Amino acid sequence: MSQFIQFVMTRAFLALVTLLTVSLIVFTLMELVPGTCAERYLAFKNTQGSQITIADIAAEERRLGLDRPFIERWGKWVGNVFFRGEFGDSCILRLDINQLLADKFWISLGICMAALILSYMIAVPVGIVAASSNNAVANNSLRFVSYLGLALPNFLLALIIMLFSTVFFGDSLTGLFSKEYRDAAWSWAKFGDFLSRAWLPIFILGWSATAFALQTVRALMLDEIGKLYVTAAAARGVTGSRLLWRYPARHALGPVINSLGFDLNRIFNELPIVALILTLTEAGALLFESLARSNDQQLAGAIIFLLTASIVLLNFVTDIMLALLDPRVRRGMMG
Amino acid sequence: MINREVLMTRISKTLTLSGLALGLLSTVAYANCPAATVNDMMGVAEGAYPHQYELAEFQTLADCTLEFAENPAIADLNAMIRGNPDLPPLAERLPEEPLVIAPYDSIGSYGGTLDALSNANEAGTSDFLSIRHVNLVRYSDDLQTIVPNIAKSWSWNDDYTELTFNLRRGHKWSDGQPFTAEDVKFWYDNLALDPKINEKPKDYVTVAGEPMQVEVVDPQTVVFKLPAPKPGLLAHFATHYGQGFQPKHFLGQFHPEINPDADALAQGMGFADGYDAIMAYYGNSDWTDTGTPMLNSPDRLSDLPADAMPTLESHFVIRETTEGRHFVANPYFHMVDTAGNQLPYINEMDELFANDQEVRLLKLVNGEADYKSQSLQLSDAPLLLENQEKGDYTIQLKPKIAMHTASFNVTHEDEAKRAVFGDLRFRKAMSIAINRDDLNQVAYFGEGQIQQYTGFSPAPEFVDPQWLTYATEYDPDGAKALLDEIGLVDADGDGFRDLPNGDPLVLNLQFATQGIAGQVVELFGQYWSEVGINSAVKEVTPDEYRSAQSSNQLDVGLWEKGQPVGIILGNNELWVAPFENYFGHRSALLWAEWMESGGTNGVEPPDYVKQLAEDINAFQSTPSGTDEFKAIGARLVENMTSNLLFIGTALTPDPIYHRNALKNVPEFKTASYEYYRTYPYRGPQWYLEE
Repeated sequence: MSQFIQFVMTRAFLALVTLLTVSLIVFTLMELVPGTCAERYLAFKNTQGSQITIADIAAEERRLGLDRPFIERWGKWVGNVFFRGEFGDSCILRLDINQLLADKFWISLGICMAALILSYMIAVPVGIVAASSNNAVANNSLRFVSYLGLALPNFLLALIIMLFSTVFFGDSLTGLFSKEYRDAAWSWAKFGDFLSRAWLPIFILGWSATAFALQTVRALMLDEIGKLYVTAAAARGVTGSRLLWRYPARHALGPVINSLGFDLNRIFNELPIVALILTLTEAGALLFESLARSNDQQLAGAIIFLLTASIVLLNFVTDIMLALLDPRVRRGMMG
Repeated sequence: MINREVLMTRISKTLTLSGLALGLLSTVAYANCPAATVNDMMGVAEGAYPHQYELAEFQTLADCTLEFAENPAIADLNAMIRGNPDLPPLAERLPEEPLVIAPYDSIGSYGGTLDALSNANEAGTSDFLSIRHVNLVRYSDDLQTIVPNIAKSWSWNDDYTELTFNLRRGHKWSDGQPFTAEDVKFWYDNLALDPKINEKPKDYVTVAGEPMQVEVVDPQTVVFKLPAPKPGLLAHFATHYGQGFQPKHFLGQFHPEINPDADALAQGMGFADGYDAIMAYYGNSDWTDTGTPMLNSPDRLSDLPADAMPTLESHFVIRETTEGRHFVANPYFHMVDTAGNQLPYINEMDELFANDQEVRLLKLVNGEADYKSQSLQLSDAPLLLENQEKGDYTIQLKPKIAMHTASFNVTHEDEAKRAVFGDLRFRKAMSIAINRDDLNQVAYFGEGQIQQYTGFSPAPEFVDPQWLTYATEYDPDGAKALLDEIGLVDADGDGFRDLPNGDPLVLNLQFATQGIAGQVVELFGQYWSEVGINSAVKEVTPDEYRSAQSSNQLDVGLWEKGQPVGIILGNNELWVAPFENYFGHRSALLWAEWMESGGTNGVEPPDYVKQLAEDINAFQSTPSGTDEFKAIGARLVENMTSNLLFIGTALTPDPIYHRNALKNVPEFKTASYEYYRTYPYRGPQWYLEE
């Protein structure tokens, strides 16, 4: 048991280091782009007719503390995040980030997790069956759908579906909520409305994720199926799905569980583009905005921090799951 | 502007009738007022100003007594404004002297929700904002006549140093509190000039860098006393987003100079101090779309007296998030139509944020918004026009104010380039090397109107027509001859001309699509290479472009440019080096440095640049329309145009979108920000036909 605690402590420490490093990288990269957030904010104002001078920009930078060295700003930000749980104000939106992200990050994470679960619910059984099946037609059509999912960029798929829906149903399928629920408090009705819209990003993100997972499961199964212990089990009279699930599948699924965190990250990476096109007002779209358009270090930092934290947490959970599933790992961990 | 004395004594005898009295008189046998519209005035003569009347003026001209009527849903809409008390009768909500508006086509019907589409909070919202906008005065839709709005009338003294506004008796804020001259003075003294709110006063609240004095004569009379003549001040209020008044009864309660207990009051609501509360409501900016407490302080909203500060605009914001905003009609709005119906007609307005141009276009094609003009570009026109019938909307293509321009860096860091770019013959050669007809066909779908850059757009009457076409002819041979004359010849035989010192000349054409279309820049490169000037085209972000411009790294400035005379009267930036502000099309940065430093730094500019700076100040302080004014204007144009510091292309149109169900929308004159977008076209008299 002490080894397990040591394991948890080590993982927690490493997670912390990862979080710090990631936020430092985000701040540093954003520092290299010309034009501070103060300038971007005032540039918006200027397009609205405000006459802006360089002195105005300097004053705004002072007000936002952007005239301080960036290491100092990063240090202060990290301190606030770790000791007070506060991400500060978004420079471009002039809002408290905690309030801003309260719903949005959970919505994003929910969409990503739903896409992840959807993809594995399809990929695991189908992949296992496909690996053991000799049906050429089924295998080839499965391969076709998978490759389509891998090859078709998500944004293109989103645009195709939107265009199709606009032309045939007169609804562009954009947004997370209908107008009547947009500003309303959460309720079952609002949740239902959310689901009636959220299926599209989940489907789009889920398709390519499914395709990817399917290929992985199938390849791993094919590796395992030919191994001697499977033949031995078959020789002992274990047959059919019982054989598949108890022997090769158990070994094939280890690496799959290990890659859950990686998959979540991959899905989240694809979310901003899809979200932007579907005008989903969640954290992925905000991340894109804050990174690419407004150079809003606090906001981008906060979203990436939360995402990294989610992935680290998921990896931690999958490690435990793996320990439960695989005795070799369990013994390695618990002694 | 023209001195308009609008106090009409012939009608003042009826002013004593209050709205309430009129209501009681409704059974008396007065002739009903004709429901005059702009299209059919039904025999009612034009008043002092186009398309609108003061109440007494209208009743005299139409020989009738106007009966007032209200939106049947107004009590429900008022109930949606948190903190607003129950409504008194309409007669007590309207000013005693409401502004009577002649709708464009027909008397509207109440109801409906206007759907709007913007980019994000405070981004791309000005076309929507200007539907409900009000200010002391307004430009009429001819874009030439300034007409009353919040102010009932105004007058100047003889030397343009005192501007007096007369307000409407009985005018009320959206929470029912009286609006008076004190609100004008509060805006000026306690917000605009308070260093704790604006670190430095904005240019537009000062005259030649000095503050004005705002004096309250009586509750309906306020005087701006100027330290120097500035006839453009009136045009400023007609075109600017900054409203010359703020609710003293509301914001004043948080201002330590108005209320000694302001800090305690604000702290009781969870703010750090009174200024913090003002920041939450007012955003410390006259920009009227800054976030409200619904956005910036949602956690303490329930302790606050209202979700947003009271307004005089036609609609009031009741919900605001990062997804969008929702507005309801202001029950105290000061306008009625010619049938006596209180405006606005439209019950609610809903704004959705979509920060992607393609998505916005899709939604427009789908008819998901009722009106849009900002951020629609000529390149979007084919798609929008093609789907007009299917989407049941109308596209108007209207000229922009600014046009795509190119400027050569006459104070380039590289002395050899500076000598070439500083040579007028070179700039002229580059201008006549551009095939503007071809450019117009290829990049502007043939919709452009070829023109040289003169500084004023659209061209006022004092612009000599020769300057509008100066050096716009396509003459590649003439261009080559001029280049030969300067000594720009192909020394190394690579097919392109080299600098006189033998170094190769490659124009670095950096541009950002926010400022100019990529296709136009590529065509520039092509035309110039045809006369032997090599170039490299590169697209950068707007920030990179600005950064290169600020550090004097650009060979060629590429950005749109142009302002109407109404703006120039109050703003000299186009005429003084570097010829625009930080976000605009600047050139000659070292001349600017010389002029700002009084000659100690930078490079001394030629005489015509000094003349421009001198003339623009004289222009701004000379009454418009006088011979002297026109003479100075003509000299400004000549100096600006003949020196080709900025090379013009063509005035092009942009699309304006409105759904066909939106009625009383007139033909716009321009598609531009400059007259405050929709404001001249009177959003409050728009209505939705379901």
